[in-house]
Amino acid sequence: MFACRQVGKSYRTERGVVNAVAGIDLDVPAGRFAAIIGRSGSGKSTLMAMIGGLSRPSAGTIEVGGTDVWRLSETALAAFRNEKIGYVFQFASLLPTLRLIDNVALPAMLGRRQSTAATYTRASGLLDRMGLGGYLDAYPSEISAGEQRRAAIARALINDPALLLADEPTSDLDEQTEIEIMDELLAVNRELGTTLVLVTHNLALAEQAEQIVHIANGAIVA
Amino acid sequence: MRLLANLALQNLGRRKARSLLLIAAVAIGSGVVFTGATLMRSIDDSMAVGFTRLGADMMVVPEGALTNITAALLTVEPTDLVLDADVLAKARIASVARAAPQKIARVEHSGIGSHHELVDLIGIDPALDFTIQPWLREKLGRELQAGDVILGAGRDAPLGSQLLIFGKPHVVYGKLGRTGVGTHERGVFMSFATLETLAASMPQRPAVLAPGKVTGFLIELAPGATSLQARFAILSAVKGAKVVTGDSSLSGIRQGLAALLKGILALMVLMFASMAVMVSVLFSAIVTERRAELGLLKAIGASGAQLIGVMVVEAVIATGVGGVLGVTLGVLVMRLYERSLVYYLDNIGVPFVWLDLPHTVAFAAAAILLAAAIGAVGALYPAWQASRRDAYDLVRGEG
Repeated sequence: MFACRQVGKSYRTERGVVNAVAGIDLDVPAGRFAAIIGRSGSGKSTLMAMIGGLSRPSAGTIEVGGTDVWRLSETALAAFRNEKIGYVFQFASLLPTLRLIDNVALPAMLGRRQSTAATYTRASGLLDRMGLGGYLDAYPSEISAGEQRRAAIARALINDPALLLADEPTSDLDEQTEIEIMDELLAVNRELGTTLVLVTHNLALAEQAEQIVHIANGAIVA
Repeated sequence: MRLLANLALQNLGRRKARSLLLIAAVAIGSGVVFTGATLMRSIDDSMAVGFTRLGADMMVVPEGALTNITAALLTVEPTDLVLDADVLAKARIASVARAAPQKIARVEHSGIGSHHELVDLIGIDPALDFTIQPWLREKLGRELQAGDVILGAGRDAPLGSQLLIFGKPHVVYGKLGRTGVGTHERGVFMSFATLETLAASMPQRPAVLAPGKVTGFLIELAPGATSLQARFAILSAVKGAKVVTGDSSLSGIRQGLAALLKGILALMVLMFASMAVMVSVLFSAIVTERRAELGLLKAIGASGAQLIGVMVVEAVIATGVGGVLGVTLGVLVMRLYERSLVYYLDNIGVPFVWLDLPHTVAFAAAAILLAAAIGAVGALYPAWQASRRDAYDLVRGEG
């Protein structure tokens, strides 16, 4: 599904250059569930951001589905993120001024690949699948954190992405909700065949993955 | 895209106090600019009417004729007293460059307007006139001829239509622009020949309509001549005449006002520029506050243009609404202006000519569009900067 070759990310700070990620080589086949684990500040979220086209690497290449992501123009990269990648962030990432159904429909509306009616029908179906069929017109502030996270998964799936990136999606949730969210993500991976990459520092969650990548100090250690 | 426009609108509603303050600031700015521009044009037009006296520097009327400074600025008042039509030509006064004779007859039961309406029939010599014809706003495509009339701006009849005066048909040859002076606004102008022909149909023939008589002359001074020189020359050469001049300080006021208007124009330009800077600073802060949201939009596939679009649409809505409110505020202010300062100006003899409706509407539209454009320009740079940042940095609230 994607391949990283000698990928690195460095930042200039007042104290000098900081290498957040250094020389990573990684291959994840299509349809696989991979977990990237490591301590806070190890560089796992930065690596995921570079794979997803959110943060430009300082070195190396990243190919997703055969596309060299960071050789794309800004416009093509935006279309690529919209069409190929789904994100679930570690924070409540819904737009507070839009209803749930609008939040879920938004990526498809940005991409303009299908009609508004078809988009909203699909958004409604995805929210229904996530158990939020009764909250289509609700605003994010009117539902719980776990429900918001499920809505974010629905939004990530609206364009039927090939790659679903989840950056600590259960970090601030209770145990039961964490299990429900993980079940949803696993179901997406198994039923739809979507490649799933989960960034977490929770080993219990990572153990469910087919491939575990352990990062420390910006490099793969296992 | 409707959803993005809706997002922009909803964002405005999230920070109501801030949005209202922005709208209020733009409303005040655009209101001042709209009001200022409208009043400037009105004052400019009024100066053209009042201070230049339609090209006349002074007026010669029969001694004993009632005059007031307001009318003296522009017109000969209707009177039974008359002067000989050739009195100035015979005098050959060097300080007089041009003299335009006028006959004014105030008549009743003319057939114009209501039955008892008093109508000023004003005769001019088209060859000598320099005060009336320059004000023709529209006219037929030919020269003024016998049987033609020119209507003041306060009278309404289509060009070329027939107008019955004392039962005699006349052709509406032209219409004057707004002058702000009653005699002109409601007057019916015609050549001496037409007026003299008409006199035969009048039940009572006014003295001024006798052949060889006029109500007075509008005078244009020769280059370099002063009104004092001309006054003495006329009074010594023409017996039984009175020379009326305007207040010489008016030209000083006019010059001062012209400078003031230029200053106001510069201030208005500065005000709009400062509004653009203010909107830009505000939207820089808004972009900083919403970095995570903008990053999220970018992460889910919003292009740079779409990100810029959301911010710019939000700014244009706010400043556009501010522009509409500002224009409304400006109209209210001008209503107050009309009741106070315009009344005062009228009282001291300076007619005030409001800008006509089409121009006022055009100014209002321009003020609203300019306010909206300022929003677009002000938000463009911070939005463009945000669109170029890494989505991940934005999502994390950095960059």
